[in-house]
Amino acid sequence: MKNSLLSLAFVIALFSCDSVKNYDPPREFTDIEKELQTKFILAEDNSTIELGTGHFIFTKSLILEGKNNVTIRGGGVLNTVLSFKGQKDGAEGIRIANCSNITLEDFSIEDASGDNIKVTDTDGITLRRLKSAWTGVVNEKNGAYGLYPVLCRNVLVEDCEVLGASDAGIYVGQSHEVIIRRNKAYWNVAGIESENSVNVKVYENEAYENTGGILVFDLPGLTMTGENIEVYSNEVYKNNLRNFAPSGNIVGIVPPGTGMLILATRKVNVHGNQIKDNKTIGIGIISYELVDLIAESPEEIPSGSEQGSGQRLNRKYEEDLKYDPYPGDVHIHENQFSNRYLIPDLRNPFGKIFLWKFGFRPPHIAWDGIKPKGYILADGRVNPSYRICVNEDIDVKRVILDVKNEFKGLTTDPEALSCDQDN
Amino acid sequence: MNLKGLQQIQRPYPATRIIKSIGFISLFLVILYSCTPTEKKEKREVKLIPNVMQGIGENLAYQKVGLLKLSDYGLFQEPLKNLQPTQMLLPYDLNTPLFTDYSSKLRFIHIPEGESAEYREREVLDFPDGTILVKNFFYSETQLEKGETRIIETRLLIKENGSWIALPYIWNEEQSDAFLEITGGSVPVRLSGMDQPFEYLVPTMLQCKSCHELNGDIMPIGPTVRQLNRNYPYAQGVANQLQKMVDMQWLENHPDNQKWPKIAKWDDKKNYSVNERARAYLDINCGHCHRPGGPGKNSGLDLTVYAQGEHSLGIFKAPVAAGAGSGGLNYDIVPGAPEKSILLYRMESNDPGIKMPELGRGLIHKEGIELIEKWIKSLK
Repeated sequence: MKNSLLSLAFVIALFSCDSVKNYDPPREFTDIEKELQTKFILAEDNSTIELGTGHFIFTKSLILEGKNNVTIRGGGVLNTVLSFKGQKDGAEGIRIANCSNITLEDFSIEDASGDNIKVTDTDGITLRRLKSAWTGVVNEKNGAYGLYPVLCRNVLVEDCEVLGASDAGIYVGQSHEVIIRRNKAYWNVAGIESENSVNVKVYENEAYENTGGILVFDLPGLTMTGENIEVYSNEVYKNNLRNFAPSGNIVGIVPPGTGMLILATRKVNVHGNQIKDNKTIGIGIISYELVDLIAESPEEIPSGSEQGSGQRLNRKYEEDLKYDPYPGDVHIHENQFSNRYLIPDLRNPFGKIFLWKFGFRPPHIAWDGIKPKGYILADGRVNPSYRICVNEDIDVKRVILDVKNEFKGLTTDPEALSCDQDN
Repeated sequence: MNLKGLQQIQRPYPATRIIKSIGFISLFLVILYSCTPTEKKEKREVKLIPNVMQGIGENLAYQKVGLLKLSDYGLFQEPLKNLQPTQMLLPYDLNTPLFTDYSSKLRFIHIPEGESAEYREREVLDFPDGTILVKNFFYSETQLEKGETRIIETRLLIKENGSWIALPYIWNEEQSDAFLEITGGSVPVRLSGMDQPFEYLVPTMLQCKSCHELNGDIMPIGPTVRQLNRNYPYAQGVANQLQKMVDMQWLENHPDNQKWPKIAKWDDKKNYSVNERARAYLDINCGHCHRPGGPGKNSGLDLTVYAQGEHSLGIFKAPVAAGAGSGGLNYDIVPGAPEKSILLYRMESNDPGIKMPELGRGLIHKEGIELIEKWIKSLK
C-alpha cells in the first residue's frame, strides 16, 4: 500500500516539473535613442510624451527628473516596445526621480540590465497597462525588478503584466499610499512584493507560476518600516517555480511553492483570496529572526565560536532600534485554499521538513512560531500587536512550526491561531 | 542565538526518518534535479546602430538649457584646447578624486566678483549664485596608444537662483571647441597598451544627477573642505587651496585653519594607513550616492567617511535591492574575506547591471580594487 502511494507521488512529482519558461517574441529594432532622450530631458511640465509605435532599442537609461504632470504613452504593449538589451550604461531602463504626478502607460519594456522601471522620490506615480519582461529563458541573469517604485507616495500600479524578474515582478518599497491591482505577475521569483511600505492595497491580481506569489516584507536598516497592508481578492496559484534569485538577495529565502509570505510586518489583513496549488505553503508568516538563521548556513559562518558568530549576525537587525523583527496583528480570513499536490517542493529545506512532519498533506498556513519577548502580556493574553489570527474553514490546515526549538513545539491544532483565543 | 534549529534545517534529514526506503528517496532526487532547468541562456547579441557622435556641433534645440558652445562662456583663452584659464577661473585639485575611466581631469572654479562661498564642515561649500565649477576630462599623449592629448568632454555645474544645473559639453574632433550635448554620447578611446578602443561614455544631462544629487537637488561632489584642504602649485607659488580662497575673499565664516578636516590621499602610502586610504576612496567614489539623502539611500548603506556603525558601512549588511549585483554573495563586506564581499565583486564587474559605480566605469579600476581588497582583508 505504502509503495503504491509512493509511486503515485513520483508520478505527480514527474509531471509537476517546471516546464521551461521562455518568452521570445520577434523583434525588429529601430533606433530613436537620441530623439527620445532629448524629449525626456526637455519635457515640459503638464505635457505628454508620445512614444509612437515600433520596437525601439536603447543603450542608456531614459531618465525623467524633477518633472510634474507628465504622461509617457505608447501605442499598447504589442505595438510599442522599449528594449534595453545591450544596455551599456545605467542600470535601469526608465528611471523617474524627484517628480510628481507621472503616468506611464501602454507600452512594453524589456531587458534592462538592472530594473526595467525604477521610480524614486516621486509623489504620484501611475503605471498602467505596461508589460515588463526579460526575454529568453528565465534565469538569474535577468534584472531584479520589473516595476519598482521606491520612496514614493501615491503609487498606482494597475493592469500590468510582469514576467522574468530575478527578484520581484512588481515591487513597491519604502512608500506610502499604494494600490496594486488587476495585474498579472508570472515567472518571477516574487510575483508582487510590498516592502517597508505603509497603507498598501493589493487586490484583484493574478500571481501565478512564480517562486512566491505575493510577499509582504519588512526589512531592517531602511528609511521606514511598513504597516497596514491589505491583500484581498487575488488569485494566487501554482507558484512553484524554482528560486532563481541570485543568492544574497532576500527573496532567495522564499521556498518554491509559496503562495504568500508575510515577513516581520504588522497590521496585515489577508482576505478573500484564492490560494491554490502552491506546493509548499499557502501562506507563510515568519520573523526576521528566521531569515537571519536561513541566510547564513553554518559552514559559511566565519571562524570563531558558534556563539560569537551568532552575535555578529544578530547585530545587523538589532542595530536598527526602530525595527521590530516579528510579524503581528496579522489577520487571515475567508480565503479559499486548495492544493492538488501531495508533496511540497523539495528544493528548499522547508519542503523537506514539511514532508517529514506532515506527510502528504502540506499545511495551508504556517507560522514559524518564533515569539518575541512580550508576546504574552502580564495578564496571560497574547499581545495584540503580535497576534496572528486565522479565521478560516476548519479544513484549512494551519500549523505553528516552533522553528527555534527544533520543531519540538510544533502544533497542528487549528485552535492555535484562533482569533478569539484569550489565553 | 540558538543555531541548532538551523543546523537541523540545513543538514539533510536522515532518509530513514522520512521514509524507510532509501532507494525511493534517491529516485526522488533524480526526478527533482532533472526538473531544474540548468541552461543559462546568454544574452542574445543584438545588432545596434552605434550611437556615434553624429556631427558634433551647435544644436539649437538646447538653447533653453544653456549656452551652446564652451567658448561662449569665456572661461578659457584661445586656442581653447590649451585649457589656459582666463582671469575668471581658479584651478583646484582634490585629495582623492573620483575615478572616471582613467581620464585625467583639470578642475576650475569661478565665483562672481564680490561674492564668496560659505564654509561647511562636512558638505560641499555653500557657493553663491553665479558660481561655475568646470571639469575637463582628457587623456594625455602618454595615456593614449597613439595621437596627441585628447580632451573628451567638459562638464559645467552652474549655480543659478539657489540651485545647480549640470551641463555636458563634448569636444569636437578638431579640438577647437566643445558643444552642449544633453543626450551625452560615446567616444572611442584607445589607451596605451590596449588592443581595442573602449567606449568612453559621456553622460546625458540627467545622468549627471544620478550621482550629483542630495535630497532631490543637484549638488557638486568634490569641493568639500576635506577634499580641498591641500596644496596647489599656482603660478604665484605653492599654497593651500582653501587658504588661497580665503586670501581671495572667496571663503567666509571659516574656523581656524587647524580645524579644517582633511581626507586621506587614496594613493599616498607613505602618509596614510590602508584604512584611511580605503575610506577616502569609498567616500568619493561611492559616498555621493550611498549616504543619507543620496540617490542610493534606499539600501541604507553609508560609505562616507562619516558613516556611523559597522552595519551602515556594509559590514555583514545583507543587500536590499542588489539583484544580480549580489553575485551570489550574502553581505556587502565580510571582514577578512574580500572574495565574499559584494562591494568588491561589484567593483570588479563591468556588466552595467552589476558594476559600481554605475557611471564612468567602462573600465575597471585595478588600483582601487587592490586597495579595497587589502582593506577588507585587514578588517576583523
